[in-house]
Amino acid sequence: MQGNKAIEVSGLTKTFGTLTAVDNVSFDVSEGEFFGFLGPNGAGKTTLIRILTTLLKPTSGGAVVACCDVARHPERVRHEIGVVPQAMTSDLDLTGYENMDIYGRFYGMPAKERKERTGYLLDLVGLTQRANDLVAAYSGGMRRRLEIARGLVHRPKILFLDEPTIGLDPQSRQNIWGFLKKLMEGDRMTVFLTTHYMEEAEELCGRIAIIDSGKIVVIGSPEELKGRLPGNDSIVLTVDNITQDLIAKVEKLPFVHKSSVEENKIRVSVDSGANNLPGLIDEARSSGAKVLSASIHEQSLEDVFIHYTGKSIREEEAKKVSFLVGAGIPRKWGR
Amino acid sequence: MTRLLAVIERDLKKFRRNPVVLAMSVLMPLIYLIIIGNSFQGKLKALPVVVVDQDTGPHSGRVVENLQAVAAGPGTITIIRMKDQQEALSGVREGSYKAALIIPSDFSKNVARKSRPSVGLFLDNTDGISSETIRITVEGAVRASGTEYVSVREAAGEVRMRDVNLYSKVDYYQSLVPGVVIMAIFLGAMTTGAFNLVMDRFLGIDESYLLTPLSKAHIVSGLIISGLFITTLIAFFILIVSMLITGISFSAEPGQWVAIFAVITLTTLGLLSMMFVIIGRVNHPRIVGILSGFLNVILFFPSGAIYPVASFPGWLKSFALVNPEAYAVDALKSILFKGAALSSVSHDIAYLFMFTLIMMIVAIFAFKRTV
Ligand SMILES: Nc1ncnc2c1ncn2[C@@H]1O[C@H](COP(=O)(O)OP(=O)(O)OP(=O)(O)O)[C@@H](O)[C@H]1O
Ligand SMILES: [Mg+2]
Repeated sequence: MQGNKAIEVSGLTKTFGTLTAVDNVSFDVSEGEFFGFLGPNGAGKTTLIRILTTLLKPTSGGAVVACCDVARHPERVRHEIGVVPQAMTSDLDLTGYENMDIYGRFYGMPAKERKERTGYLLDLVGLTQRANDLVAAYSGGMRRRLEIARGLVHRPKILFLDEPTIGLDPQSRQNIWGFLKKLMEGDRMTVFLTTHYMEEAEELCGRIAIIDSGKIVVIGSPEELKGRLPGNDSIVLTVDNITQDLIAKVEKLPFVHKSSVEENKIRVSVDSGANNLPGLIDEARSSGAKVLSASIHEQSLEDVFIHYTGKSIREEEAKKVSFLVGAGIPRKWGR
Repeated sequence: MTRLLAVIERDLKKFRRNPVVLAMSVLMPLIYLIIIGNSFQGKLKALPVVVVDQDTGPHSGRVVENLQAVAAGPGTITIIRMKDQQEALSGVREGSYKAALIIPSDFSKNVARKSRPSVGLFLDNTDGISSETIRITVEGAVRASGTEYVSVREAAGEVRMRDVNLYSKVDYYQSLVPGVVIMAIFLGAMTTGAFNLVMDRFLGIDESYLLTPLSKAHIVSGLIISGLFITTLIAFFILIVSMLITGISFSAEPGQWVAIFAVITLTTLGLLSMMFVIIGRVNHPRIVGILSGFLNVILFFPSGAIYPVASFPGWLKSFALVNPEAYAVDALKSILFKGAALSSVSHDIAYLFMFTLIMMIVAIFAFKRTV
């Protein structure tokens, strides 16, 4: 067999006309791993998942998922994987239970097993009480939980989650993280998740790949990636007016490793931020700038992202209008 | 097999949860029947015809009697008797009457002598439908009087004698029934089957079942089978109800019911498969909306449901040759009105079968199993 690799991707490329959505991507995911793809809007996360889950054919390169090559034996791959697409895909005219049951039948599961599994999963995602209501009457968070449960009904070897908590409030998000972790303890399943939420990647993933404009920028565990950053804290100063003089002065400070500028904010990586914050503020004032506010935090994946891509993922997040638009609309363009 | 059943059941459940769609698919063809049936019938009732009988002989008397029978029975015309030919003709010209029938004084004599008896018919040609109807009625009355060789001289020129069954029991209203059943099938085929695929695609739901091991054949045939089930049920319901409404008395033998069943099922299957070919890749319901209006007109009006195919111009006749609805209408008319057996509509059924088979193969071939 393939050793203990669940997913092997090599040189995968997908182009839509002149646009390269996934650009020569290679990586491996081991069995039982919780692997995350972190990237902003339009990075190519959904396109990559669609290729790995047999919905799209790659332009070049290949991927082996679970057992077989996705382009050569898509029907075999489909048996082994469970997928929760980015857009909401449960049937509004069916009840939660019916959605699960019909799905189990698509996989040819026997009735008894379907019933048991559906009962267990609905309980896990906290929908037992609402199982016989039409999905049309569900909230967004409930619908999402149902779809994750549905993706698991046939005991897949690998679960693909495309932005599972997009558009949900923090509470629903916590809830979903909670049962995903619980699930990982039980079944020894491989999970492939995409997200543009740092906290989500940090909370759930054993290893992440940061993807930007279709290219993998860096791969590693969250700790590893943070460890590679110079310094250990991040300070953001908001000033009235950013000048070249200010930037030059700040960068010359011995405890400052790196700086970046967004609008009227200057972000610096430093060693022991609490001790060095006063010195940084003094230096800024001495160059004539008025400091409006200062914040200090331990370096996070956000800083990793900025370090490698030169931009903040949060800017991108603000542009995200609707989670439905995210995956529902652009794919039609190609046809 | 369980997978196919799951596709069917999913579709049927979804349909059942939308009773408005069901109600509309049943009501619309029936309303159509009542509106079209009555509006066309209205024009063909009580057309005023002046009769000037200058002969008053035995043969002219019989012609007038026959016309009076039509006036009293189906009521297509009403008869006004007049003595003065000039007055009658100017009445037609002024629009008071739709036609004037002049029976010349030598009519009975000529009939007896078999020397080219003739009558004169003056028609208001501005109203095509009524003048045609009157001409047919008068010709029928003259024939039915037993005077076979009478020619009806029309003011506008020569008149061909036609073999018209004046006292046929099938009125226009009843003759619409096959068309209405076919229309119900069309509506059903439009709103089930491939349309559900378009809706799923539009809502982005298709992705969830394209991710499962369902094959193309599962998806396409599952949707066609559930559409077939729903649509044939509706079509039979419409058939029974519209027969009751229009008063068709039809005591069919089992073989004829088999023929009706075969025609309805095959037509439904054929149209469902055809819709898969046409809208199988469409991703917006609005496109289906536009197409459905267009297709309905294109298929329904040249089907012979309203006007007989025989009176179409040549190019339209050749379109009727490939139009599945034309075969369906023809078969249903033969069975319901001529009491034809399964064997006498076998050519219709054979065509529908071929059409369905080809469309189904193309449908599965053309369906794309990727997003
Ligand atoms: N069917 C398509 N035709 C043309 N371009 C496409 C198609 N699908 C995706 N794209 C483009 O490919 C790029 C990557 O899109 P993709 O949906 O994979 O991004 P994403 O990382 O999932 O973004 P998001 O966070 O918004 O979901 C985008 O620029 C998008 O416009
Ligand atoms: Mg996406």
